[in-house]
Amino acid sequence: MKRLLPMAAGLVALLGAASAYAACSISGSGDVSTLSNAFPVLEAIAGAMRECTGGPVKVTTKLTTENSAETTQALKAAKSPYGLVALTNGTITPAQAAGQLRPLNDFVAKYKAKYNIEDGMLIKFGNDVMAIAFQVNAQHLFYRKDILDAAGIAPPASYDEMLAAAEKLKATAGIEFPISGTYKSGWNLAEEFVNNYLGMGGAFFKDGTAEPAFNNALAIKTLDVMKRLVGYMSPNALALDTGASAQQFMQGQVAMGNMWASRAANMDDPAQSKVVGKIAFAAAPIITPGGKPATTLWWDGWAIPKNFDGDPELAFQVMMEGLKEDVVRANNDVAIWTRSVYKPGRFAIGTAASARAGAPPYPMVPQQSLAHDAIGEHIGAFLAGQASAEKVLADATASYIAAAKAKGLLK
Amino acid sequence: MNRRSFAGFVAPSVLAMLLLILLPLLGTAWLSLHESYVKTELAEVQTSVPLFGGMSRVEVRRVPQAVRDAAGIPVRVWNFVGLDNYANVLSLDRLRQALVTLSDATPGWGWQFYRDVTSIEFWGALEFSLLYIAATTPCVLLLGFAIALAVDATSRRVRGALIFASLLPFIITPVVGALSIYWLFLDNAVVNAALQGLGFAKFYFLSGAVPIRALIVLYGVWHATPFAFVVLYAGLQTLPQDALEAALVDGATAWQRLRFVIVPHLAPLFAFVGLIHVMDAYRVFEPVLVFGSNLYANSLQYMTYRILNSEDNYSKAAAASLLTVLGIVVLLIPILRRLWRERQAA
Repeated sequence: MKRLLPMAAGLVALLGAASAYAACSISGSGDVSTLSNAFPVLEAIAGAMRECTGGPVKVTTKLTTENSAETTQALKAAKSPYGLVALTNGTITPAQAAGQLRPLNDFVAKYKAKYNIEDGMLIKFGNDVMAIAFQVNAQHLFYRKDILDAAGIAPPASYDEMLAAAEKLKATAGIEFPISGTYKSGWNLAEEFVNNYLGMGGAFFKDGTAEPAFNNALAIKTLDVMKRLVGYMSPNALALDTGASAQQFMQGQVAMGNMWASRAANMDDPAQSKVVGKIAFAAAPIITPGGKPATTLWWDGWAIPKNFDGDPELAFQVMMEGLKEDVVRANNDVAIWTRSVYKPGRFAIGTAASARAGAPPYPMVPQQSLAHDAIGEHIGAFLAGQASAEKVLADATASYIAAAKAKGLLK
Repeated sequence: MNRRSFAGFVAPSVLAMLLLILLPLLGTAWLSLHESYVKTELAEVQTSVPLFGGMSRVEVRRVPQAVRDAAGIPVRVWNFVGLDNYANVLSLDRLRQALVTLSDATPGWGWQFYRDVTSIEFWGALEFSLLYIAATTPCVLLLGFAIALAVDATSRRVRGALIFASLLPFIITPVVGALSIYWLFLDNAVVNAALQGLGFAKFYFLSGAVPIRALIVLYGVWHATPFAFVVLYAGLQTLPQDALEAALVDGATAWQRLRFVIVPHLAPLFAFVGLIHVMDAYRVFEPVLVFGSNLYANSLQYMTYRILNSEDNYSKAAAASLLTVLGIVVLLIPILRRLWRERQAA
């Protein structure tokens, strides 16, 4: 009995937490499995989706940081075991181009009133609704307000200002490496290149084609700015992933940098941060005078695989149960939600400011992911001082061409 | 045993090998000789995406879209391409370029050529995979043997606990082990804090190829030594006591007993552990994923993973994995020949 009591208490607490939302009310029968990345907002959504298990319905959720690899396999297979997959602007385009997603127009029309599905949540290709977005995310400026104020430095609006601020902090405040960045060689580094190159006014492809156009003077200028920034980052910078970079902020080691909005709430979490309340947020810096903030806007959403081995209408209802307004209200601060019941707080400031100043969405063309990968494979060598900017851009272009030809995107 | 009953006994394992090894291998080979993708054509598409707070962005672009057949099903292309995927993985064209620049022999051309070749993905991955084998194998064997001797020399009471503790690194999931080591050596993490506490300057362990490769080797030794330990420790339990006693009577020193009795007795086990470790080490993956992501250290296995997931190219990944299998066979030939000769001699 003694042992049973705490167990029962735990169970009650669990049930209490779960019933923060109105109970799941869906019709139909069968199994729905979901596949997504793993971060706080997706955990909240998955929790609400699992509420729908009961009677003839069973919902299982899989959250994994390897989700993009697994999603690719599931969409390609003869039958997808997953009824719902989480996608982003980066991952939806290859799937959409290959015809692997089920258009959702009929379900949206049918359930629009029940779940208050708003136009701002719909990801559309032409007239087809291909996904329902729940949050936007972007990299933007994180800075230590206390340190910058003490040194009499205004929050940097451009990378030139950030470099000047870094030099000043190094000289006067004794901070050897004041800048942090998500510069881990590979996907993260390429993402920063995409941000900066688009901010510079560059384009990745010749207009309306899949022909590469990222080996040029603008790209070299972009790489030069990135190399100057690396000079003020920890010597480990090219091996630090997003988590390690966020850690640098939370441990109070760095003064500023371009960081994902989805990490903003962590900065004020006393359980993991030493700088609670000290970090402020602003638009991503501009990289060239008169340019747009050097960042790209991302969305995260859910889609239904065309090859789903189950009832897509049931899957759609489970999706909307996870995205209903109650879930947003109960988890307001863990994400920048697309729903209008969301009340933007201080963690949304940087993304909002970047969007208002005209930061572009991450390019939604299927060949972008191949270019992203090729760039991530090669530009690290330039930043590490192993090769020239001209060579790494030529290598990245060659890798892209080989990959795009193998996918039939280039002749 | 007559032929019939022999065949009856081996049939299940032969069948299992055919089904689980040969068939997938043939399938992979078949895949590697083809290219496969969904046929696309450029079409004007209007996309609409949310930005923030109800704002959304509408863009019209020419985007590759699937070509569909009469039934609306995307058309899949499946072409025989011969050895193109292999040439692609090996980057034969870039290798040729490196050879061309080789002809103007300036001082230091050998090093330059080596740098040029290893900057190509496959050859860089091969370089580090081989370096990793060369660095970890002797350490794993020596350290495993030393721990086995040490545990063997302790009293029976603590032995169980010691064996359990020594096996832990082997039990931990590789990617978790690699991540733990990565976290230990970050800027302000445990190791740096400890070093600074002892009065040393801060050291940036992830700042270049040399320290990162050293950390990956450290991880490899930490992870694989328990396997060598447990096999060699088992071997130590079968030492011929009479031979050892005879050596003692003859006045052999501890070193001589080790050198002339114990090590020869364990020789087949050393060969076995070496063989398994070389096969394992050639397929090093997790620490490269965690530490290197190819700038400082790449491996063939990581390369295959990248081709499969980032390039989303099954056929090229199949070619890469078959080249890996071929490499293992080449590496194992000397060890297998040695084992064969010993068997013949016995």
